[in-house]
Amino acid sequence: MTVLPLPTRRQEDWRYSDVEAVAGVWPLPDPVAIHVGAGEQAAHRLLQDAADGAVAIHDYAIHVEAGGRCTFHLLNIGGKLGRVTFRVTLGKGAHFGLYGAMIGGGEQTLEIVTSVTHAEPDGTSEQIVRSILGQKAVGTYLGRIEVARDAQKTDAVQSIKAMLLDRTATANAKPELEIYADDVKCAHGCAVGELDRQALFYMASRGMEPQAARSLLLQAFVAGVFDDIGDEAERERFDTAALAKLEALAGQGSGA
Amino acid sequence: MSEEVEIRDAEARAAAARAADYEHGWSADIEQEFAPKGLSEDTVRFISAKKEEPEWMLEWRLKAYRHWLTMETPDWAKLDIPPIDYQDAYYYAAPKQKDALKSLDEVDPEILRVYEKLGIPIEEQKVLAGVEGARKVAVDAVFDSVSVATTFRRELEEAGVIFRSISEAIREYPELVKKWLGRVVPMHDNYFAALNCAVFSDGTFVYVPEGVRCPMELSTYFRINAENTGQFERTLIVADKGAYVSYLEGCTAPMRDENQLHAAVVELVALDDAEIKYSTVQNWYPGDAEGRGGIYNFVTKRALCQGRNSKVSWTQVETGSAITWKYPSCVLNGENSVGEFYSVAVTNNYQQADTGTKMIHNGKGSRSTIVSKGISAGHSNNTYRGLVRVAPQAEGVRNFTQCDSLLLGDRCGAHTVPYIEVRNPSATIEHEATTSKISDDQLFYAMQRGLDQESAVALIVNGFAKEVLQQLPMEFAVEAQKLLGISLEGSVG
Amino acid sequence: MSLLRIENLTNTVADKPILKGLSLTLNAGEIHAIMGPNGAGKSTLAYTLGGRPGYEVTGGSVEFDGQDLFDMEPHERAAAGLFLGFQYPVEIPGVSNLQFLRESLNSQRKARGLDPLSGGEFIKLAKEKAGLLGLDMEMLKRPVNVGFSGGEKKRNEMVQMGILDPKLAILDETDSGLDIDALRVVGEGINAIMRKPDKAVLLITHYQRLLDYVKPDFVHVLAGGRIVKSGGADLALELEREGYAEVLA
Repeated sequence: MTVLPLPTRRQEDWRYSDVEAVAGVWPLPDPVAIHVGAGEQAAHRLLQDAADGAVAIHDYAIHVEAGGRCTFHLLNIGGKLGRVTFRVTLGKGAHFGLYGAMIGGGEQTLEIVTSVTHAEPDGTSEQIVRSILGQKAVGTYLGRIEVARDAQKTDAVQSIKAMLLDRTATANAKPELEIYADDVKCAHGCAVGELDRQALFYMASRGMEPQAARSLLLQAFVAGVFDDIGDEAERERFDTAALAKLEALAGQGSGA
Repeated sequence: MSEEVEIRDAEARAAAARAADYEHGWSADIEQEFAPKGLSEDTVRFISAKKEEPEWMLEWRLKAYRHWLTMETPDWAKLDIPPIDYQDAYYYAAPKQKDALKSLDEVDPEILRVYEKLGIPIEEQKVLAGVEGARKVAVDAVFDSVSVATTFRRELEEAGVIFRSISEAIREYPELVKKWLGRVVPMHDNYFAALNCAVFSDGTFVYVPEGVRCPMELSTYFRINAENTGQFERTLIVADKGAYVSYLEGCTAPMRDENQLHAAVVELVALDDAEIKYSTVQNWYPGDAEGRGGIYNFVTKRALCQGRNSKVSWTQVETGSAITWKYPSCVLNGENSVGEFYSVAVTNNYQQADTGTKMIHNGKGSRSTIVSKGISAGHSNNTYRGLVRVAPQAEGVRNFTQCDSLLLGDRCGAHTVPYIEVRNPSATIEHEATTSKISDDQLFYAMQRGLDQESAVALIVNGFAKEVLQQLPMEFAVEAQKLLGISLEGSVG
Repeated sequence: MSLLRIENLTNTVADKPILKGLSLTLNAGEIHAIMGPNGAGKSTLAYTLGGRPGYEVTGGSVEFDGQDLFDMEPHERAAAGLFLGFQYPVEIPGVSNLQFLRESLNSQRKARGLDPLSGGEFIKLAKEKAGLLGLDMEMLKRPVNVGFSGGEKKRNEMVQMGILDPKLAILDETDSGLDIDALRVVGEGINAIMRKPDKAVLLITHYQRLLDYVKPDFVHVLAGGRIVKSGGADLALELEREGYAEVLA
């Protein structure tokens, strides 16, 4: 059996990764295969909250056949390296939706890497990712959308937003489009910014403690990502984990 | 290959053979017009000697050459570049080597047709096509028998602006050149930049002293005086404190050159409160409709916004070349410095372009704007590649990026590869990208008002590119508009 | 003399037959209104005459000002003097109205062997026509239809008609999206520009209200891809009062 050499940062998909951390878990197992048949619907999710110092890498290979729909909710908050990758192929009229949040602190490296191929006409995809990074955390979104030749009427959107809490944190993003068909709608928006100062002031003027105001705005920033989780208990679990992570960040004095 | 090119190639070979036969070795013989084929330290020495350069310059070139030998061709761009045999090329031919044509009748009718469409006056056409004795005539005809070059040069000198070929500048202003050359684009920066450092043949040097606003757009001067500066061009522009200069490079008229590889380096330096506006219209031969021939344009352009409140604005209209590899960038070191990049890149037939910018925010309060409009047609591929980086110490940085792609037909490709790296929480970075095509509705609407299909396409494409075109100096904006239409001829319908 | 003679016209859109043997003749100096229920083929008629791709002519003939209309490309029809006022005017980002119209007009003039208008002459003309329709010149400096309200778009169509000065105007639901004041301005504009002995207008409309301002010489009812009834201005009132179903019964 041939083992692939360890990744290096020269490889695009590992460009901002913690490649030293990967050595301990190399070689990686095969990706988890998710197959959504024609016209079927599938809802998947992952709450990645590995222990401190752990290396958590989750790879998914998703194939959605004609008219199928696959949604994936992801909360990526655990481990020294928390890396979740998606290689998605969409058939005719198929849909893929990724709704993800990354919240990192300490020296965490958190990554979401996607490659969505619209192989046939009429497919749609939507990716929404929100990241909050404090202390020395590095958060990366690498998202590639490919629209194959003749995959007309593809509609693909990426909305990527990141918020840094400390001067020592890093947000990287590469929303990439590779388009070989002309009658398509592909758009991406990407924004990195800090908390809205006006909103903070407005909240303070109503008597809110600065810390409370901040935490409220941060919650608002990731809120909505998990709204579509159908199972209420599961949605609760994701929301609670996100909130706990945010509180832990605040508790460590991030962004003070 | 055209007959003319073949003849020139044969001549070059003959000259090289003569040089090689010379009993004292050719490197000492600076009478020769051609460096022999291939690239070696001797080639570098030959070029340096030919240019009567000081020792430090030769050493600098040699260092670059030795470094180049250890480097690899970049392969990360979305380009399919055939292997280039660097030993199978000539690196120096004295300028003016071009065979003069006797009249416009000898010019390729296809080129004349394009001149016509661009509305270039006949005398200027002669200059562009290289008709014998045309330069003087053109200057006289266009500017009413005043020697425009002389007038311009005097005017510039009165203002204290130094405007020289880079070879002249190395001899006349060695300290100034030494201070800045390679400062913005270090010789080891990349493969093509290193190659350029070793073998650059000529180029331009501009120095605008403190507080001086350059009295004319250097484009006007350049337009008439544009010599074919060859394949390895080197440009260095320094705007001292509070200075301003606007510079236009290139030409809307199609430029043919038998040198396939072009690897220019452009360095800009803006000190406190200085501003440089650098506009490019690139229309090198793109190859034929089947993708044969055409220039490889591998250019390194970078600006150092070193001073506080300094500003550099790059505007480019890229329609030519078979392959374009080019990222005019700004290193924003100065507090409140500003970088701008406005680009229209058109690819048709089998052209490939991978172009964009890097905005490196190191200074507090630095701001940048990126507007990129890519238009792909035929079987071409057009990529925007950009980087916005915010350093940890750079407080209050702002960037806005808009990348729009327009696809004409379903055989082409449009790609967007933005890199965003932010390490300061106070940064506000916004990036937006869209993809569209010319809708049948738009086309029909315009045609119903009386425009034929080609005019309608040209009009809509110009609308798409408007934000960029309006950044160009007036005289060129009009030509660039026509150029877009011409570049896309036959791409729809 | 007839300006437009449509004989037994049939067509398909996406392989579906829409016009099924439509005949209609307009003489110079006349204003005709075509009314009809939704889906009758009113807009199809307009687009087919304009030469919109996808509107396949399968039979019949159309003669415009002595020429075979179907021999001409859309821009050649425009140059020959046919203007189509769009129901949904198209947005062209980045291209100003003035630039768009000047290029269009000069293309048409070139096709007719006339010299192009200079910038100054054109601006003068544009100002005059914009004034006629109560459209601010600033609007003409903005990109074609981008960010215009529905009413502004329709007025803009009429300004374009004024500037291009066609022989025949086919106005597709020009009254839709207009409030009562705008309707009057547009109606007066149509009269001022087009009510001339050498011109004709084909008004396509769903409602009678525009006809209060632009009085038609003839009214036709289009249903099922054919003209099923023709009459004078009274017919429009009758339709308004009784409804299509009643009148066509």
